[in-house]
This record gives sequence, C-alpha cells and structure tokens, in this order.
Amino acid sequence: MADKVELTNRIVLRSVLPLFKVIYEEGKGSSKGVDGIVQFAVKDSDKGAYLEFSGGNLDVKQGIHSNPDVTISFKSVEDMNGMFTGKTVVPSVKGLSHIRLLLKLVPLFLNLTLLMPNKNPKAPKKREFKVKLLMYMVTNALSQLNKGGDEDMMAWIAKMPDRIFQMSVQPEGPAAYLRVKAGKTKSGHGIYTGKAPFIHMMFQGIEGAYAVMAEGKDTVKAMGDGEIRVDGSPESAGMLGSFMKRIESLLMPE
Amino acid sequence: MAEGMTWSIEEADKLTQAEIYGDVLCQLGDKYPDLVAITADLAKSTKIGRFGEKFPDRFFNVGIAENTMFGMAAGMAQAGLRPVVSTFAVFTALRSAEQVRTDICYQNLDVKIIATHAGISFGQAGTTHHCTEDIAITRSFANMTVIVPADGIETGNAVAAAMEWPGPVYIRIGRGFEPHVHTTQDYGFEIGKAETINDGNDITIICCGVTVLHAVRAAKVLEKEGLSVRVINMHTIKPIDKDVILKAVEETKRIVTVEEHNVFGGLGSAVGEVIVESGKACVFKELGLPDIYSIVGYPEDLYNYYKIDSDGIVETISEMMGKEIEEDEDWEDET
Repeated sequence: MADKVELTNRIVLRSVLPLFKVIYEEGKGSSKGVDGIVQFAVKDSDKGAYLEFSGGNLDVKQGIHSNPDVTISFKSVEDMNGMFTGKTVVPSVKGLSHIRLLLKLVPLFLNLTLLMPNKNPKAPKKREFKVKLLMYMVTNALSQLNKGGDEDMMAWIAKMPDRIFQMSVQPEGPAAYLRVKAGKTKSGHGIYTGKAPFIHMMFQGIEGAYAVMAEGKDTVKAMGDGEIRVDGSPESAGMLGSFMKRIESLLMPE
Repeated sequence: MAEGMTWSIEEADKLTQAEIYGDVLCQLGDKYPDLVAITADLAKSTKIGRFGEKFPDRFFNVGIAENTMFGMAAGMAQAGLRPVVSTFAVFTALRSAEQVRTDICYQNLDVKIIATHAGISFGQAGTTHHCTEDIAITRSFANMTVIVPADGIETGNAVAAAMEWPGPVYIRIGRGFEPHVHTTQDYGFEIGKAETINDGNDITIICCGVTVLHAVRAAKVLEKEGLSVRVINMHTIKPIDKDVILKAVEETKRIVTVEEHNVFGGLGSAVGEVIVESGKACVFKELGLPDIYSIVGYPEDLYNYYKIDSDGIVETISEMMGKEIEEDEDWEDET
C-alpha cells in the first residue's frame, strides 16, 4: 500500500508546485527582472523542489538545489503538504535579505490559493484560470498516482495499450491530457494530436467545467445537465473519475 | 443529439443500436398492422419489449426456447404475418442455426431477425456469450440477407429497409454504447449498397459494425501522417457491393478489412472472394479475431487486444505502407 503522506507529497511537489510556472507565464506573477533560486524543502530530508527565476523565466525543478538564495523549509512532510493544501503552517525562511525575490513569491502564492474550494472568483477570466490550474494539476496528479505507487492505479493501467485520456473545455478553452502505455504515464497540456483520445471529457464551456472541477458537482448530474460530454468507454471514464476522487481525498482529507 | 462520436449518460440510452431498434420497431408497428414480434425471454435486453408494451396483442415471449421461437416465426410468416424476432446473436446463429436455416431460409420466408449482443460487444459476459461466427454462418444460408449496421442510426435505417426487402434478413447489432458515426438518418442507406465515408487513394479500409467508427478515427490519424485513406462502411455483407470493392482495388491497390468477428468466413472472407473472383491483384489484410475464442473483458479493451480499434488499424496500415508513426517515449518529461 502506498504511503498516503508520501503520495500526497509527490503530488504537491510534482503537480501543485509546477503550477507556479503556469501562474508566472500567465503574467499573474510578479514583475520580471530578479533572478534567483527559491527552495522548498523538508528539513533533514531530500524532499523538495525549487523555483529557478532566470532571465524573466521561471522553471520549477525537483530536488534540492546546492546553493539556493531563499530556502523555505518545513519541519515535516506533513507540514509541507499542509502548506500547499490550505492548512496554516509556519515554515522557517532562510535568506530574508532577498526581499525582491521573496516579493515575487507573494502573487504566486496568492494565485495558487485559487485552487482552494472556498475560492470562488466572480471574474470570468479568473474562473477560467482556476479551471486551467485544476485541469493541469489533476492530469499530472493522475500520473503521480501511478508513479508514486498507488496499487489500484498501477493495476488499472499495467496492461493498458497506448491511450490518451483527454480533458478539454469546449470550444477552445483549457485542455490537458494523461497518456498511458503499458504501466507508464505522463501528463501534458493542451490537446494531444498524435492520436485520437481513448476517453475525452469535454466540458461545455468554462461554467460547465467550473461546476464540476471547482464546485464539486456530481459528474453524472453534470452529464445529465449537458455540462460534460464523454467520448469513449463509459467504464473507463468511471474508473478515471474514481481516481480523480482519490486525488481529491489525498489533497483535501475530511 | 450530439455530433457523431460523442454521448452523455442520458443520451446513451437513446444511442445504443438496440435502443434505436426498439423505438423504430414501435414506429413500424403503426405502419405495418401485420407486424408481430417474438423473443425468448430477452425482451428487455434486446429492446423488442418496447414493441410488446405498445402492441401487447402482437408480441410473444416464448420463454427460454429459441428454437421454438424461430419455428413459430416461420409458421407466422407462412400464415401471412410479418414476424420480427430478437434474441442474442449467439442464440440465433449457433443454438438455433437449424431452425433459422431449415424453417426460415429454406422456405425463403419473410422473417426479420435482429440479433443483439453480437461479436464481443458483451465482452464482460464471457466467451459463451460472445458471437464471432454468426456472419460466416448466416451468410452461408441461401436466401438470407446479412446486415451489420455501424451505429444506432444505421440500425434504424436497416430495420425499416428490411421490412420492404423480400426474404429472411439477419441484422447483427451490439449490446450498447456504440457511439454514432452518422449524424443524420438521411445519408442514403440502401441494402446492398456500401457507404464511402471517407475518400482516399492510398489504401482502403472496408469495415462493418462498430469497427466503422474506429476506421474513421484511424483515417484521421493517418491523414496527419500524410496518408489518404478510403473508408467503406460495408453494412450489407450479403448481397455484398462488388462494385465498390473492385473500384477500391483499382484505385488504391491496398485493402484492409476490419470486423468484430472471426477472420474466417466474415466480412474479410466475403471481400476476398470478390477480389479473387475478379482476377485483380492487391495487397490484402484481414483484421478480426484470429481464429480463436475471444478472451473476456470490456469491449473497448478487447477491440484493442485484437487490433480492430483505431490503434490497431493505424498500426496495421502503417506496417502495410512501410511507415512508422513517431512516438514520444520520454515518460519523465511531463507538464
């Protein structure tokens, strides 16, 4: 059985933290111009990821940097998970002298809070952005379930041929996919063009996607209301839905 | 109704071949007062029960007695009625083969048989409920017409057309969740006349039933690789449309047949017979179940396993054309 805390941490580091890059590229990050490394790490462990600001770009990399400018460290894996899933956690911060670098983090974190269930922006652009973040996070987290050792996920895809599980907002909204092949997985942004999707969850407009992804509307009800159309195997779509629920329960335990 | 190849849970009920067949049969019941319907304890599963709800005096459930059912249908046809019979394909073509052959086909009677759950469409029910021999069996019965509709819309058209078609007709449909290939009923369905869904000059896919959708998808994928793929929906296996096959041989020189059936005796064999008889040469490949009893699983997984889905068709055609489809195998590079 995969350790829940470890699996959640894998999702936090590889599915949630990389959303900083999406936020930054959307122009929702702070002004460009300051280079530096911001490390997120669990004390006395090799668990961490860092933000690399360089030449107006931001990259999110896994692991521990040898010489970060700012280090945000947590006492435990549980604390790190808590920080990124909405709990009040006070990490220790090293490198406070890098004020401008720290200031760059503020809008990134503020926008990341959009992921929280209680954040319901009114502006259509913000709502679309929340859907995009959730879609990117969920498709990547599905891949992390496999790579992180979730037995059910691994068993489900172990013998699966090359298949694309696509999500998209119709007609031209955010899109992301999970590719599966014989036990291997990878996620990606946009519409996969190499082959037809095995399952394609098509949300009818941003509001349809928002209702399901952000407000937790029951998928079957949403189908009945015409907010989602599914192209592909209904049994497999059901399985995919159950794994999405599993991700939700990892990140937002009762 | 949504555009082709999409459905929601609510629409699924309206989309399945059997569901549409059930509704169409009710409409035909109004048109033909001599139409009677018979089933063998599968009224609900085959959807023929809808007719029974609307016309209880013209509906007969014989219980689990398929052979009796086909015998009754023959008698009713002899008496001037217009019987429509429904049960699973495996019970029609295998269990009741003798009654269908001797009681119905031998006498060239106007009995219309709608066989559901054909092929591996009920994959999870087990191999005993799969039916991958029925096209071979029924097309070998003299007088029998054999139709394999691509989707629910075509099933509706086939059932309606069968009412005006002389002699026995075997219509082979799946269990459900067959998404639409067609977006309208008015695309010119005609028994014995194949439908060219996608035009192309490099290779031709000749397919029937649920594989038509996969062929259309495969053609789209291959088109991106620069291949021009003709897709022919050969909904009528007997009498087969020889002209469209020979035209494809002449114009594309490469033929792939795809069917949810044993490769022996089905669509591929029927197409092969036409080609061999013509004396024309072409590269020829049959996709179907390779002369084995199918394994158990969900239909989509089985279609993939037997390479009769879009992936399998793409793979086969790529091999036939000597062309590799590029694949990204870096599984760590994800966003």
